[in-house]
Amino acid sequence: MLKPWRCCLPLYLLGLVTPGLVLAGHSFENTAIVRTIELGGSLVHVTTTYAVKALEDGSRLYTLALAEREHEKTSWLEAKIKGEAATLPLEEFGYSPDGDAYLYTVELPKALKLNASTNLVVDVVQTHVTYPWPAQAAQADGQSLKYETDLFVLSPYRTAVQRTKLRSPDPQVHSYTTLDDFDDFTTESPVTKSGATITYGPYYNIPPSANKEFIAEKQKHIAVHFAYDHPMLEVTSLKRAAEISHWGANLNIEDQMTLHNSGAKLKGHFSRLEHQSSHFYGRPSPQMLPALTLHLPAGIHSAYYYDLNGNVSTSRLRQAPSVPKGAQNNLNSIMELRPRYPLMGGWNYSFTLGWDSPLRDYAGWDRQSGKHVVGIPVMTIINGAVVNDAEIKIILPEGATDIDFFPPFPPLKSSLSTHVTYLDTIGRPAITLHYKDLTYNHAGTIYVTYKVPFSAHLRKPIAVATAFLSVFLVAFAAKRVDIRIQKK
Amino acid sequence: MADYASIEVLHKAVPAFSPYIPVGLLPYIAFILLSATFALGFYFSTSVPAQSIRSPIYNTSTDPPRICSLPKDTLPVRETAVASLASILGGFGVVALFCTVGVYV
Repeated sequence: MLKPWRCCLPLYLLGLVTPGLVLAGHSFENTAIVRTIELGGSLVHVTTTYAVKALEDGSRLYTLALAEREHEKTSWLEAKIKGEAATLPLEEFGYSPDGDAYLYTVELPKALKLNASTNLVVDVVQTHVTYPWPAQAAQADGQSLKYETDLFVLSPYRTAVQRTKLRSPDPQVHSYTTLDDFDDFTTESPVTKSGATITYGPYYNIPPSANKEFIAEKQKHIAVHFAYDHPMLEVTSLKRAAEISHWGANLNIEDQMTLHNSGAKLKGHFSRLEHQSSHFYGRPSPQMLPALTLHLPAGIHSAYYYDLNGNVSTSRLRQAPSVPKGAQNNLNSIMELRPRYPLMGGWNYSFTLGWDSPLRDYAGWDRQSGKHVVGIPVMTIINGAVVNDAEIKIILPEGATDIDFFPPFPPLKSSLSTHVTYLDTIGRPAITLHYKDLTYNHAGTIYVTYKVPFSAHLRKPIAVATAFLSVFLVAFAAKRVDIRIQKK
Repeated sequence: MADYASIEVLHKAVPAFSPYIPVGLLPYIAFILLSATFALGFYFSTSVPAQSIRSPIYNTSTDPPRICSLPKDTLPVRETAVASLASILGGFGVVALFCTVGVYV
């Protein structure tokens, strides 16, 4: 999982030694916890609202707990005060063996006095958490997914009342865990269904649950089986190269993507006849991906789209005019792509998509420090898709020095290398960042600062001039060689 | 070390990137410089041995005039100058040509 927050290793080590300090179960009480799970395909959005009451004067650090399985599937975690836009500082403490959970502390904007309360909203995006069930489906069949989670939200604090709501995108819910013999913490029906929403709870007076005893004795596993008639998209591999050219004042961005339809695998063979007739009657296969619409940056031009076979002409770009750097922009260039073949369940499709854009829309020059500052978008959002592996390479002009980069969230790995391309002599410095499990929340901007001395700009013309001069030198020598057979 | 928020503010505040040579002029610069390189290369290639002009067999009234020829001197100062100038103009011209055709180097 990527970490948009600080990972405080020293405090983690302290936490291992003194777990009591980390599991601060005495500072707060949860007066209510409401967890809403928006079920989807590749991405599941979980919003948990904690109504917290301070049990001590000056309480400011609130501890969140995620079960191991939940932590593995979490790709994005963000905490805010309800009704406010600012995100709260989050620190990860890592795995707590005593609590059998991964702990995070959220720093509240203001310390709470005794018995004061606030509402904390924690947004989580989970990836690879739903799976098709049945795993295979024929071309004309529908698609259904299963989602599994734990019944209780873990917390190191006592909880007065808690409920979990699961919202299916389709009202057709095939089945869900009914908890027939479960009457702990509730005197009412433990689960109710209303339309596409299944509600587990309310459950009352839950003791601190982020511990092994509670998880072993009280925690339950729930599952929902629901219809999902949309393709489940994964980008198994994304390689983005952003090349900066000062001579051409251009930023070229090229994405090499491998798309995978992770929905129900196609049962049997693909029938083109059935595919054409289903389109004719307006009943296309629900889990099939026929086309893709991407929102690309404004001001792009010279877009290209090709795959292993060559140029793919089934695409259309609607350009939006260029927007100056830093200006508020609501416009996007729309790229409609139609792969060579429809992407059925279990199928893959690899392609390259690239475009040029004016460098002035992305880069600026700081006169004070003499540095260029450029902002490179991390990725292009594909609606509802998760990017399993991403490699972003930022290629700076030849001769760039004093390079520094500022990603919106820390990468798994970063490196500096040399990239050699047209008319290069010493090569261009390239920054490579690696990420995993990117979602729409990760669509930020990587800022890079660098210096390019004037002499570095002359490197290319001088290199070409040297090549010309060598040709002239050969001609110069050749003119002075007498190759006549008979000399007068 | 600057943090992300401050770099984000700096990026918005600084003036936009502007190249030393406007991009719109690059096609014209490429054409002019490469034409000049071609002309100088032609001039360089049509050099004539200095002795041939003063040769007894060279008839100034019947033989064609050596107007465009670069004399091949003992100390090749002029040849070197022409070659160097052509190379430099060609260097810049090729870079401008690459950018003109969409290979932004």
